[in-house]
Amino acid sequence: MSNNSADILDIKNIEVTYDDVILALHDVSLKVPKGKVVALLGANGAGKSTTLKAVSTMLASERGKVTKGSIDYDGNSIQKQNPSQMVGLGMVQVLEGRRCFGHLTVEENIISGAYSRKLSKGDIDQELEKIYGYFLRLKERRKSQAAFTSGGEQQMIAVARAMMAKPKMLLLDEPTMGLAPQLVAEIFNIVKELNQKEGVSILLAEQNTNIALKNSDYGYIIETGKVMLEGTAESLLNNDKVKELYLGISKKGRKNFRDVLKEESLNTKSN
Amino acid sequence: MIDELLFFMEVLVGGLLAGTMYSLVALGFVLIFKASATFNFSQGAMVFFSVLAFCGFMQDFNIPFVLAFILAALLMVVVGLCTERLVLRPLMNASEDTVLMATIGLGYVLEGLAQAAWGVEVRRLDLGIGDFPVPWIADNLKLFISALDITAGLVAAIMIIGLFLLFKYTKIGLGLRAVADDAGAASSIGIPLKHIMLLVWSAAGVVALVAGMMWGARAGVQFALVDLALKALPVLIIGGFSSIPGAIVGGLIIGAVEKILEVYIGPFFGGAIEGWAPYVLAIFFLLYRPEGLFGEKIIRRV
Repeated sequence: MSNNSADILDIKNIEVTYDDVILALHDVSLKVPKGKVVALLGANGAGKSTTLKAVSTMLASERGKVTKGSIDYDGNSIQKQNPSQMVGLGMVQVLEGRRCFGHLTVEENIISGAYSRKLSKGDIDQELEKIYGYFLRLKERRKSQAAFTSGGEQQMIAVARAMMAKPKMLLLDEPTMGLAPQLVAEIFNIVKELNQKEGVSILLAEQNTNIALKNSDYGYIIETGKVMLEGTAESLLNNDKVKELYLGISKKGRKNFRDVLKEESLNTKSN
Repeated sequence: MIDELLFFMEVLVGGLLAGTMYSLVALGFVLIFKASATFNFSQGAMVFFSVLAFCGFMQDFNIPFVLAFILAALLMVVVGLCTERLVLRPLMNASEDTVLMATIGLGYVLEGLAQAAWGVEVRRLDLGIGDFPVPWIADNLKLFISALDITAGLVAAIMIIGLFLLFKYTKIGLGLRAVADDAGAASSIGIPLKHIMLLVWSAAGVVALVAGMMWGARAGVQFALVDLALKALPVLIIGGFSSIPGAIVGGLIIGAVEKILEVYIGPFFGGAIEGWAPYVLAIFFLLYRPEGLFGEKIIRRV
């Protein structure tokens, strides 16, 4: 059943626990409109990866569970799906830390992304050429062992591999982690291009608030498993609190959102 | 002088060919190690289970050779299916140590099942290939080499080439190599782990069956096959746990070295050193080259 609503992903008030005791997400709701790029921002441990894994159903293999709320993808609940079924439905996650198959060549890595599709040899070559069109660097290195490529190239392999599954939606978990600024820009250019030319909807978890928002349509900021703020990318970039807390434009030291809210409520009380 | 050289050649070739049998057993271990990073302690029991079933089909039910082989191979696929469903899937999130312990348990279950179904007495397995020197080679090359050894060598070579082609050039082979590198990432791009596990355990089962037939034809189909299969441990230490070429070369080295040591150095120790000599060799490897000859080094980018 395909879905006529404007959102490809609709997460409503989910709570996630690991090992039945550790509460990782309290209350997260977010939407990804079709064909848009949505950024999920927050510090380490805020719950970005957990949110993405809840969507791709990879939580189960880490003993995590969605205990409250619902996740709808393309109009259907994902509750009973497993990761390979989700890939079949067009939802692919690019895991944090690139996770290439080190002993396989670059090209074998990319081809492995088409595992869930039934393609002939000719189809695969055609798809490969198309993917190499976005990742020119990888074409030069197609015969190298993936473990010996650079961090930026490995990130490209991971995204190219995911694209071979022909996704309608990509979940990118910190694609720029540990990369030089120049490469960060290159990766984001490719992501934007994939979004515009292939029409892939993207949910992007990032710590790099500034560049993530500049390349997104909408953003959510989460802290300790809760959505603290949401808005269009532009409004978030111009939001004073975001500027102070996440973009480092502040006279005082770093704080988190809770402190700011506490301060505000104190201020209003004293007024 | 020429006689001594011929004798040495005979010992060497005999050892190498016997080594292919070790290679075959080790191959079963490697397959499972690649996919689940677990040393499968039940591999010996799988050898025993499969070849006893094969004998049972042939001798108790008078099923012809080829059909009995196919039935036994199918039985091993069923064993693989049950193992995946009943042991591996429930332990999906468990540590590697837990899975290791589970394979020990699985070994006992298979040993028990085999003996409950087919009895405990030693069975003779006649493959129609004698364990005696081939006359043509004896006449022309003056070497006394057993026909069974030559057959085992050929069979091992065919299976190894087949597996190599399967892994290198098929889609499911690519899936297996991906899972061997990073199971989590493989699952994130939609490679179904359960299919890969099923493939690997079935392939290991069929390899166990073939190895069991070769061993059984020489030594009789009996419980001792379970322990004989543990000879694969030094083979794997020398060859590397995750390498198919390693299993082959390791098997050849162990086979040749143990025979040469037995013949030339054995008398100084009162003989029968081939039982422990491979383990001494394995210890040297553990000390100086722990990843084995062909083991995949952990690649770290600097």
